[in-house]
Amino acid sequence: MDGERIWEVFRQEDEGDPMMHSGNVNAPDEELAMHYAREMYGRRGESHRLWIVAREAITELDDPDLLKPPFDRSHKKPGGYVIKHKLQAAKERAASKASE
Amino acid sequence: MAETPPIDATSREALAELLLSVADDEFVIGFWDSEWTGIAPMLEEDVATSSIAQDEIGHAKVLYELLAELTDDDADRIAFGRASDAFRHASLMNHARGDWAFSVARRYLYETADQVRLAALTGSTYEPLALLAGKMRREETYHLMHADTWLRRLADGGNAGRDRLSSSLECLWTDAQEIFAPLIGEETLVREGILPEPMRAMSITWQARVRPKLEPICGALPAATPSIDGRTRRTSDFAWLHGEFTSVARSEEAATW
Repeated sequence: MDGERIWEVFRQEDEGDPMMHSGNVNAPDEELAMHYAREMYGRRGESHRLWIVAREAITELDDPDLLKPPFDRSHKKPGGYVIKHKLQAAKERAASKASE
Repeated sequence: MAETPPIDATSREALAELLLSVADDEFVIGFWDSEWTGIAPMLEEDVATSSIAQDEIGHAKVLYELLAELTDDDADRIAFGRASDAFRHASLMNHARGDWAFSVARRYLYETADQVRLAALTGSTYEPLALLAGKMRREETYHLMHADTWLRRLADGGNAGRDRLSSSLECLWTDAQEIFAPLIGEETLVREGILPEPMRAMSITWQARVRPKLEPICGALPAATPSIDGRTRRTSDFAWLHGEFTSVARSEEAATW
């Protein structure tokens, strides 16, 4: 069809749930995009809310220099911090407080 | 389902006519539009049209169930066990699917008329019908939006689409009136408040609403009123469709589905 555009569809299953990317639809305009998103991602009553976003409205970042820098980034990951014993102690404190 | 309120034999007969007319409209337009499955203008529209057609058949199902309860019958028998001349849909639904513009024109005419009819039925004193009309209306609002979107797209989308749309509207205009064809026992229904408004009044409301939308597309539409046989005229197109939608039920008549 003439002037077809791609619209990305995000779906929320229940109020308060995060909006999750579901897929996309082809449609010539916003109005038909709404209808098609409803039919593709909501016709069985599975959605509480849909977001329909024109793909060209999305700012894309896929530059490896920014996302996959060449230097070691392991110090930015949480894995290096051992908190198991701290968690255990906190749980015990909470339990003893509750039993008081 | 709620207890069926007590109702005398005359009103019951008239109510059965009303339920059958609405149910058959929904059932037959649903089957015609489902003929687009697989061949609609684009994939997304294919899903949308098929889903809307299913919605209409779904509405017919609950209406047939309401009717079956009222007349101690069976919904499947009413839907698939009747001869083609026992159907009571408006003659708007006698036409074959046609091209895309034709289907859009029919859907638009039907949805706008159905909107007027459902608005009235939500005020019915027959509570199960009033409740059902309220629920159907929520879905039909969306159906009308979809038909309206396509009507405008075809009207504004260049001469080829506009010409086809225009000639389809002219062709269907007279038969569209028949959605408001007088019902057998209508006076009783209106007196009892089961039908809160006479069909004739709804017809006037509907025309006043659609003429300003349609006449800029296809020029002045002729004066037209519903006719007495608006729900009993049948065509060979419908006879074909009837053969299609009853074929599975006929293939094994004793089967439990």
